[in-house]
Amino acid sequence: MAIKKIKTLYDVICPFCGTLCDDVEVDIAENKVVEVRNACQIGTKKFFSSNPSEHRYETPMIRKKGKLEPASWEEAIDKAADILTKAKRPLLYGFSSTECEAQSKGVELAEMLGGILDNTASVCHGPSLLAKQDVGQPGSTLGEFKNRADLVIFWGSNPVHAHPRHLGRYSEFVRGYFRKDGRNDRTIVVVDPRNTHTAQIADLYIQVKPNEDYELLNAIRALLRGVELDVEEVSGVPMDQIKELVNTLKTCNFGVIFFGMGLTQSLSHHRNIDAAICLTRELNDHTKFLITPMRGHYNVAGANQVFSWNTGYAYSIDFSKGYPRYNPGEFSAVEVLIKNQIDASLIVASDPASNFPAASARNLFKYPLIVIDPHETPTSANADIVLPAAIAGIEAEGTAYRMDNVPLRLRKVKDAPGESISDKEILEKLIEKVKEKRGE
Amino acid sequence: MAEIKLKLKKPLVFPLEAESITPDNFAGKSNDEIKKLVAYSGNEESTLGQFFNVSGKSGEKDELKIIIDGDISNVKRIGEKMTAGEIIINSDVGMHVGNEMSGGKITVNGNADDWAGAMMKGGELEINGDAGNYVGAAYRGYWKGMKNGIIKVKGKVGVESMLWADGSVPAKRFPTLICGSAGSFLGIHNNGGTIIVEGDIDRCAGADQIKGMIVVKGTAPKILPSFKKIGEVKEIELLNGEKITGKFIEYAGDHSVKKNHSVVDKKTGELNKGVNGRLYIAA
Repeated sequence: MAIKKIKTLYDVICPFCGTLCDDVEVDIAENKVVEVRNACQIGTKKFFSSNPSEHRYETPMIRKKGKLEPASWEEAIDKAADILTKAKRPLLYGFSSTECEAQSKGVELAEMLGGILDNTASVCHGPSLLAKQDVGQPGSTLGEFKNRADLVIFWGSNPVHAHPRHLGRYSEFVRGYFRKDGRNDRTIVVVDPRNTHTAQIADLYIQVKPNEDYELLNAIRALLRGVELDVEEVSGVPMDQIKELVNTLKTCNFGVIFFGMGLTQSLSHHRNIDAAICLTRELNDHTKFLITPMRGHYNVAGANQVFSWNTGYAYSIDFSKGYPRYNPGEFSAVEVLIKNQIDASLIVASDPASNFPAASARNLFKYPLIVIDPHETPTSANADIVLPAAIAGIEAEGTAYRMDNVPLRLRKVKDAPGESISDKEILEKLIEKVKEKRGE
Repeated sequence: MAEIKLKLKKPLVFPLEAESITPDNFAGKSNDEIKKLVAYSGNEESTLGQFFNVSGKSGEKDELKIIIDGDISNVKRIGEKMTAGEIIINSDVGMHVGNEMSGGKITVNGNADDWAGAMMKGGELEINGDAGNYVGAAYRGYWKGMKNGIIKVKGKVGVESMLWADGSVPAKRFPTLICGSAGSFLGIHNNGGTIIVEGDIDRCAGADQIKGMIVVKGTAPKILPSFKKIGEVKEIELLNGEKITGKFIEYAGDHSVKKNHSVVDKKTGELNKGVNGRLYIAA
C-alpha cells in the first residue's frame, strides 16, 4: 500500500460546543481527516463528518416535481432570491453554527428583506439573555475561573456529556495559578434533578425536584439575608442541606455558577436565571462570586454578539418596519411559526425540524424553504432549495465567540468537497441577487 | 358624543400593526383622512383604509368613541399611547392592546393576547374575556412597568402579569389589576402595584416583590418559601385607601430581595416587617 502524505495542523479550534477548545491537532491526507487528537469524542466526530459521505451535499439542489435535483449555483441562487424578494414576511433562522462574518451577512439580508431574524438562542439560552436584560450579569472569562475559583457550581448543566473538556480545561481538574492542586483545591457542587455523571464526581450533590429550581434559589437568597424560613424543606431539599449549601457559598474565596438548559428550559425559564443572577449579586456581599451560562453551539454567543452590535438586540428581531424591533414571544421563530405568520424561510446552519415543536415544523414546511447546510438534515430533506456550505471552522475560516464571549479565529484545515462554498459567500451571492432583482 | 366605526373588510394573512387606531389620531379628521392613516402588514407599509371600512363622524378626542367590529385577533397595538376618549372592541384582540396608554378607556368584548396594557400610565382597560401573558407588564429590559391606571380582566390573566409594576403612595400612583384568576409569577418584581384576584392563582406569586399588595380571594397552590406569615386579618386597606373585607391570611415578602426593607435587626434578631410587600390569601 502506498504511503499517504499526511499533513498535521496544530492548535486548531474545535467548532462544536461553546467551550471552543483551541488545542486540537488534526491530520489531513488527500483532503480527508484521518486523525484528530486532543478533542473530545463529539468534537472528533464533527471533524470526521466533513469527509465525503452520502449525507454531504456537494452541489446546489432544487426541488423539481417533488424531488431534490442537482442544479447550478446560478439557477439555485436566482430561485432563492426570487422567493425571498417576493416574500412579505420571510423568516431567517439559525446562524449559531457558523462564523461571525456569515452572521453579519445574515443581518444585512434580513434588514434588506424586512424579515424576521432569529438565532438558536431563542430555544436555548434566550431566557438567560432576557434575565440579563432585567437584572444584569456578573461574569468573567473562563481563565479567571480556572485560575481562581475554589467553588464551582453546575446548576442544571451536565458538562461531562455536553461540554466534555470544560472540566479538564477550565473548571474542575485543571491546575490554576492559585489552584495549584487542581481538583483537590476546588469544591464542586451540582444541583440537578437527575444524578448525572457530573453529579457523581461532585463533593455536594443537591437533588432538586424538576421545575422547582426557582423556589430553591428563592429560599437560598432569603437564608443568605439572615431570614429564618418557616418551612422544613424546599423543592424536595431538606433545610439542613440548604443551610449547608448557603454556608459553602458564603465561605468560599471565589465561586462561580455554571448553568445550563436545566435552568433556562425548565418551567420558570428566565425567572430561574433572574433569581440565580440576583443570588450571585447578593453573594458578592460575602465573597467573590460570578455566573456564566454554558452555551451550547460553538458560536451562539457570537450570533448574539453580531446581532447585538448590528441591531441592538441579541435575537428575535423583526425588521418589518425597516428598523429592528425586539420581542421574544412575538418575533421568535417558534412563535411566528406556530401562529403561521410567515410566507418563506431561509435556514442557515441549523435544523429546526428536529428541535422545534411539531406544530412549528409543520408550518415551516408549508411555505418555500431555503436551507444552507453542509449535511442532509430533516429540515434540508424538506427544503425547496438546498445550498451546500463548507463547514465553518473546518473548511472555511472565520471568527467565533467562546461561551465567555472571547472571540477566537477559526481555521481552515481542508478544502470543501464538490461545489460547496462558505456560508458567507452564499449569503453574499444572495444579497447581490436580491439587490439585482430590486433594481438597486 | 362623536363616534367612529371600523369594520374589518377581510380576514388578515399577517398580523396588522395598527398603533394609529387611537382617539388622539382620529380626532378632528374626516373619514378619508382616517383611511389614510398608516398601518403595517408584513414588511409593507399600508393604510387603515385598505383593511377597514370607516363610518361615523369624528370629533374632539375627549368625546370620541371608536367601535371596532370583525375578527381583529391578529391586529396589534390598538390604543397604543392613547390619552383620552374611548375604544370598544367587539372581538378578540391582538397583542399590545392599550400599551403605554395614559388616559381614556378601552373595552375588549373578547379575549386579549399578550402584553395587554403593558407599561400603562393611566386610564382604564377592561377585558371581558381572558388576557394573555404579561398583562400590565414592563417591556423587556425595563425596570419600571405600569405606573398608574386600572386593568380589569373578567377571566384569567397569563404568566408574569404586572411585572415590575411601579406605584407610589406619596405620588398617588396606584397601578391596579383586578382579574378572575392568574397564571404563575403574578406581580413578579412588584414595586407598589395592587393586584386583586377574584379566584385562584398559580405558583410563585409576588416573587421578588419589593412593595405592593396581592390579594387572592381564591386559593394558591404554594407560597414561596421566602414569604413570612404574619397572621389573620378581617379587613385589608389597599394602598389607595379602599378597603376589602373578608378573612385573609397575611404574608409579608418577598424576603429574598436585597432591596426589600424587611431587614433583620442585628441587635434584637427580629425581622423588621417594615413597608415591604404583602400577599393575602383567603383563609
